[in-house]
Amino acid sequence: MNGAGAVARYTLIELSRRRILLVFLVLGAAGTLLLGVGLKVLYSLSGSITTNQDPAKLQKFLELSFLSDLYGALGIFALLIAYAIGMTAIYHDLESGAAVSIFSKPVSRLAFSAGKVVAAVAALIVIVGLLALEARLVMLLFDGGLAGSLTGEILATMANSVVVMLLVLALSTWMNNIVAAIVAFVYYNVITGVISAVHGLADSGAFNNDLVKGVFDVLYWTVPHALVSSAPGDLVRAQIELSNPPRGSQTFVFIPAASGFGDIAWWLFFIVLFSGLVYLAVRRRQV
Amino acid sequence: MAAVVSVRDLRKRYRRRDPWAVDGVTFELEPGQAFGLLGPNGAGKTSVVKMIAGLLRPDGGDISVFGSPPGEPRARAQLGFAPEDPDFPKFLRAAEVLDYFASLLGLDEADRRRRIPETLAFAGLEGERRQIRQFSKGMKQRLGIAQAILGRPKLLILDEPTADLDPLGRRDVRALIESLKQSGVAVLLNSHLLSEVERVCDDVAIMAKGRVLKEGTMREVVPEGNTLEDVFVRLVEVSQPQRDHMPSFITDKEPNS
Repeated sequence: MNGAGAVARYTLIELSRRRILLVFLVLGAAGTLLLGVGLKVLYSLSGSITTNQDPAKLQKFLELSFLSDLYGALGIFALLIAYAIGMTAIYHDLESGAAVSIFSKPVSRLAFSAGKVVAAVAALIVIVGLLALEARLVMLLFDGGLAGSLTGEILATMANSVVVMLLVLALSTWMNNIVAAIVAFVYYNVITGVISAVHGLADSGAFNNDLVKGVFDVLYWTVPHALVSSAPGDLVRAQIELSNPPRGSQTFVFIPAASGFGDIAWWLFFIVLFSGLVYLAVRRRQV
Repeated sequence: MAAVVSVRDLRKRYRRRDPWAVDGVTFELEPGQAFGLLGPNGAGKTSVVKMIAGLLRPDGGDISVFGSPPGEPRARAQLGFAPEDPDFPKFLRAAEVLDYFASLLGLDEADRRRRIPETLAFAGLEGERRQIRQFSKGMKQRLGIAQAILGRPKLLILDEPTADLDPLGRRDVRALIESLKQSGVAVLLNSHLLSEVERVCDDVAIMAKGRVLKEGTMREVVPEGNTLEDVFVRLVEVSQPQRDHMPSFITDKEPNS
């Protein structure tokens, strides 16, 4: 695939100079730092209230609070970054007319698509990875023993964001990038979210109707599944341990399970499918 | 001599209900030949050159570029295309754009080190540190021509190459075309500037409404005692309504004058 490396390299240079990504990175980094330091300061200020508590438990509680908020915030930032990259990486070349000069060179549309996809994924991984690295450093403030859960959660966040980004990338080659983002949001965040939530409820026995359960079982396997790491389960377990529940409590039934092999394979299928869509969209595009 | 470009009965329309943008265009281009494609706005000239460059899909007819279909990277490896109103990735610098395109052309490190500074100097963009988004139209046009010649093409397609250039830039482009012709490069020039085409092209085709109205060597198309402009206006006026009526608000006298 001659030229894919050059396309990837210069797309990465372009993305690194886009202010919007820099803004997201700075906001994310500042937010993570503020969250961590804020919780620590709050802990110090409320020392008088917490003196009769076990300090180790308090550290763990603080780290738990930090991680709960961090995971939510990282998920949102990763999604914003995915949309920002997906909306611009190919669309700007097509709209500005740069694609006319690029496609007149001896580079195949497959190599161009591959280069763009690789650059977009790499940019997303680097930005989210930098935020994760900072989060890991901030966690040194607490040392509550939950740091291990961060890696899995970051990987799951990246994996989910890559799916959305590839979808936006493909759609923005077919249509206006704002419309593409709206369509992707409705499909991935609304329709898929609702189907997954209802399917989860049906699985937990919320519906008695077998037909409804069957329909959502089928629908569930038509949409991408958001990957879930062991972190949400770890956090719930840690919270339960902190509140000292009776042993053998039924509470553990509601602990969210981490994604299994089937979900990961399904995620991989959508990565291949959406990458294929990017290629098809680029291939049929006339400039 | 084998044709560099062979176009036969080429047809293109953008939507099914639209009239043909290109309707049965046929011509050949040989090494060392400069071919001028002329026509009023909307004549279909840009559609023709974009189909030759593999950027648009024809709806009918055949195109062969160096014996291959135009969409194949092999055909485009020997082709340089300077588009009308060119643009480039806007956060890159001129030298980076050329390095990017040199990579796509498969040039090795030594070739890149030699060609990029020389091409930038030819385009008057040496030492230019600003990003493309800060370039004027003229600067982009010069970079457009620079990237088109970077791979030492055997076929150079120039689509309105001098539209945004100053007189010095136009002179440089004319000199470039002359020099390339002498070294056996085929040049397809698409331009509104009839005097320019008259000066550099050996053959010419005049198009209107997607069709070739007249084609041949410059002597065949322009009879003795005429200019290319005379021939162009005569041919094109037949296929287009005259626009010799001024708006009344322009010709009306001011009440108090």
